[in-house]
Amino acid sequence: MLCDHVGYTVQAPSGRLDILNDISLDLNAGETLAIVGASGSGKTTLLGLLAGLELPTQGRIELAGEDLSRLDENARARLRRRRVGFVFQSFHLLPSLTALENVLLALEIGGFSEARDRATGALEDVGLGHRLDHYPRQMSGGEQQRVAIARAFAGDPGILFADEPTGNLDRRTGEVIADLLFKINEDHGTALVLVTHDPRLAQRCARIEEIEDGRLLAKQPEATGAPCEPSSRLADRPDG
Amino acid sequence: MNSFALSHRLLLRQGRSGSLGLLVAGLLVATAALVAVSVFTDRVGRALERQAGEALAADIAVNSRAPIPERFDLEAQRLGLETARLITLNTALFVGEASLLVEVKGVSPGYPLRGRLETAPTSSADGQATSDIPAIGEAWLEPRGLRQLDAEVGDVALFGVHELPITRALTFEPDRSGGPFLLSPRLMVHIDDLRSSELLGPGTRARYRLLAAGDEQTVAAFSDWLQGEIDSANQAIVTAADADDQTGAALTQARRFLGVAALTTLILSAVGVLLSALRFARSQRDLVALLKSFGATGSEVMSALTLMLLWLVAIAVLLGGLAGLVAQAAIAQVLVDGQQAALPPPRLWPVLSSALFTLLMAVGFALPPLINLRQVPPMRILNQSLDQTVGLSWILWLLPIACAMAIPVIQLGNLQLAAIVLGGSLALAGLLALAGWIAMRASGALASRARASWRFGLAGLRRRRAAGVIQITALGLGLMALLLLMIVRTELLGQWRGSLPESTPDHFAVNIQPDQVERVERALLEAGAQRLQIRPMANVNLVDSTGRLDNDRFGRQVNVSWIDQLPPANRIAEGEFFSADATGEVSLAERWAERTGARLGDTLTFESGAQQFTATVTSIRDVEWDSFNVNFFILMSPDAGQKLPHQNIASFYLADGDVGVLREISRSFPNVSVIDVGALLDRVSDIIDRVSSAAQVVFVFTLLAGLVVLLAALEATRDERRHESALIRTLGADNALIRQGLLIEYGIMALIAAFLATVGAALVGWLLARELFDFSYQPSALLFVSGFLSAFALVVGSGWLGNRSVLATPPVRILRTGKA
Repeated sequence: MLCDHVGYTVQAPSGRLDILNDISLDLNAGETLAIVGASGSGKTTLLGLLAGLELPTQGRIELAGEDLSRLDENARARLRRRRVGFVFQSFHLLPSLTALENVLLALEIGGFSEARDRATGALEDVGLGHRLDHYPRQMSGGEQQRVAIARAFAGDPGILFADEPTGNLDRRTGEVIADLLFKINEDHGTALVLVTHDPRLAQRCARIEEIEDGRLLAKQPEATGAPCEPSSRLADRPDG
Repeated sequence: MNSFALSHRLLLRQGRSGSLGLLVAGLLVATAALVAVSVFTDRVGRALERQAGEALAADIAVNSRAPIPERFDLEAQRLGLETARLITLNTALFVGEASLLVEVKGVSPGYPLRGRLETAPTSSADGQATSDIPAIGEAWLEPRGLRQLDAEVGDVALFGVHELPITRALTFEPDRSGGPFLLSPRLMVHIDDLRSSELLGPGTRARYRLLAAGDEQTVAAFSDWLQGEIDSANQAIVTAADADDQTGAALTQARRFLGVAALTTLILSAVGVLLSALRFARSQRDLVALLKSFGATGSEVMSALTLMLLWLVAIAVLLGGLAGLVAQAAIAQVLVDGQQAALPPPRLWPVLSSALFTLLMAVGFALPPLINLRQVPPMRILNQSLDQTVGLSWILWLLPIACAMAIPVIQLGNLQLAAIVLGGSLALAGLLALAGWIAMRASGALASRARASWRFGLAGLRRRRAAGVIQITALGLGLMALLLLMIVRTELLGQWRGSLPESTPDHFAVNIQPDQVERVERALLEAGAQRLQIRPMANVNLVDSTGRLDNDRFGRQVNVSWIDQLPPANRIAEGEFFSADATGEVSLAERWAERTGARLGDTLTFESGAQQFTATVTSIRDVEWDSFNVNFFILMSPDAGQKLPHQNIASFYLADGDVGVLREISRSFPNVSVIDVGALLDRVSDIIDRVSSAAQVVFVFTLLAGLVVLLAALEATRDERRHESALIRTLGADNALIRQGLLIEYGIMALIAAFLATVGAALVGWLLARELFDFSYQPSALLFVSGFLSAFALVVGSGWLGNRSVLATPPVRILRTGKA
């Protein structure tokens, strides 16, 4: 992924609002990157641009070798199907679908064959193989986020974007989720871009970029990239 | 990705979703109500038509001044219709030494094809229904004819070359038309006897009629065939509605009432569908953003959602249609009393058109917002504030709405009715939206100056501006439809029924000579006659006019009367009615003026015997022809009475219908004919009763549909309110504050919606009464107050009931899930 002098401006009732200014960064396959900053700094917006959900108003972004500015929205959507996974702060599971159906939905959009097997496997990988037919309202926050993670990586994307994945969770559950994300990175070589407030989560990434008022601050020291010590096998660990 | 498969899966899986449930419920109730009402009113309308066919003794007839060709019968029979033939003419009848001008009617076997004859063994006995006709070699005579000849059943009558025994008194004939101006009693014989009587030679003014009856489609097919066969100079096709003025007028009114009732249900259904469709589209925004973030393209998402919508609509319409059919069958069973009054079976067209209407409305209302969903940015999933709703071109709404509105117009076949009700509704919708918008803006300004619960309530309106405008519009339209139906059901129908009060004149006495007026009046009053009116009538020729009249008017005989004040059931439409001491003036009935081309200011010249006289048209009158009063096309100023030879006509109500009394009057005044029109009154009264029953049924269904609309309108913002309520309770607000805020918010919406709906309903009701039903209707203050209060209470009450759960949402839930 390559982000080259990217800016993003919107029209607000009070006038022009520059959300991002002159952002440049890159990410190689398998790398992990944390984007940190105060609330309102523009980090979530940057995440959305990097994932191709929107086009920057200045600069360009390359994702999986494709210049996003040359692609219309449909083309960007098709790019996301197989290359990008997304995990949201509020999980964004469909309340009327079971855990299995939520994961299946993303796979069906991606046109994956044997979607059911993939979905079941993904849920088993996150330790929810016994909750396939449960609805989100029957699950804790941590379990819902695990379903969301399963949905995000069931299609084996090259890059996974996570917007405050532990923001709505308690610390212990957050750690479980973080462990899961980094395990995916480790096992599948999926690049990971995290937006987070949590410094400990950020520290687990290979690189940290800090945004302030829509601009990247000077390069941060390289993070250790070392994961927090999991206390037990992920699949067996209760949360919430 | 297969959009079809995705739509199918979304449908099955999202079937558990609240927004889909409401859409299906809204469509189902809308379709059920519409199908039930359309089918039911169609069945009632056709039953009335069938009943009115009794006034023709058939479903369709051909009138002719010459014998009707055999091929007409053959074609009717080939199509499967029953037929009968009639010949009528005026001739002299002799019984012993007495003679009388009678109208002879020769009837063929099968007559009457609709309705029944009634005969009695003597002139004073009560009539009994019979399926016989006079056999060859016998005659039946009306009781007044017997009275005037001082004859009785059993006497022999001589007409033409025949001497026929009078074997029965003919007490009722279903197709006896002509109203009070029948001068000649009826003699009924077998058609072969009339043909062989030698009365049907060249120069006789016999009238020939072919009757036909059968099922509706076959009658319609025969009618189409006749259009290409008849000689319009000498022949005419007659339907039931043409058979007599009173029945035809009642039938027309009935169709209008039923049409209005059906339209109100339609409006409510449309509003319900609109709300459901809008909510459905709105609830998909997050889903669309999510699907796009997974890689679905805009067109894939839209295709899947459109297909899902079509599935839902098809299921709802199918189920709703079935439910509607079952419902109307149940109601018909309850309302129908006895085999005679059985309704004809349901037709396919009202079912299909209602289903098609709901389909078009659902797709039409949902499609523009669905199209708009293509524009939902995937960024919305991260940050809702980056989702800018693109405005919809209003043209997108026009086509489906126009198509859907065309259906009821075609179904009703009455453009004026549709224009008043639908046009009024559209205008009201615009007004409501504007008022709602103004209220939302004003509430924002007021909220900042208000305190506590008022601030909360007014701020709530401001926060939910768009939803508030839609809610007010939907509520107002729904309330207007309900109130209009109430007005129709109580005030307009009541007025129609009131035009036939208990003591409506049911007898006429004709040919009262001027020197007999006082004595006849006294005799009738002594006999118990009520609402007695006696009017003079002269028969004159219209010979000239200073204005332009249709050419064939001149030389024609017309009946004229004179009076010194405007008679009852008459209203001045143009000019001024003449005073009691006016001379040389004439007032014309609007219908006659339109037919002849006569205008205000024209001077008409009349001739009676050797004398000519003129009169200037100084007023045009609007006459209630269905009032059963004695009415005249031409009313002259009182001075005319001094010039013209004339007779008098009386109309009165006789409480017990004592035949003996009438016989006595006929004996005392042999030249006076007393005619009983009670059966005709009963027919019209029955039509009114049926329409009232139908209106009751429609009201129930419309109320149901209205409740669904109300709930759908108020449901729209419930989730948001729950979230808000939980939030401010974490800040310390108590239930009382939240409750008051809710009531204020709903109260303001209810105030606007109820006020405009009441005004709208009263205005449309007034327009309908004036332009369509021909009543003079003034909306009462009671209507305004009761209508407004009940509408207001309904909205606030429903809103309160529907949102009580807002108070029950614990704040902790919102902290845990971020949602209420």
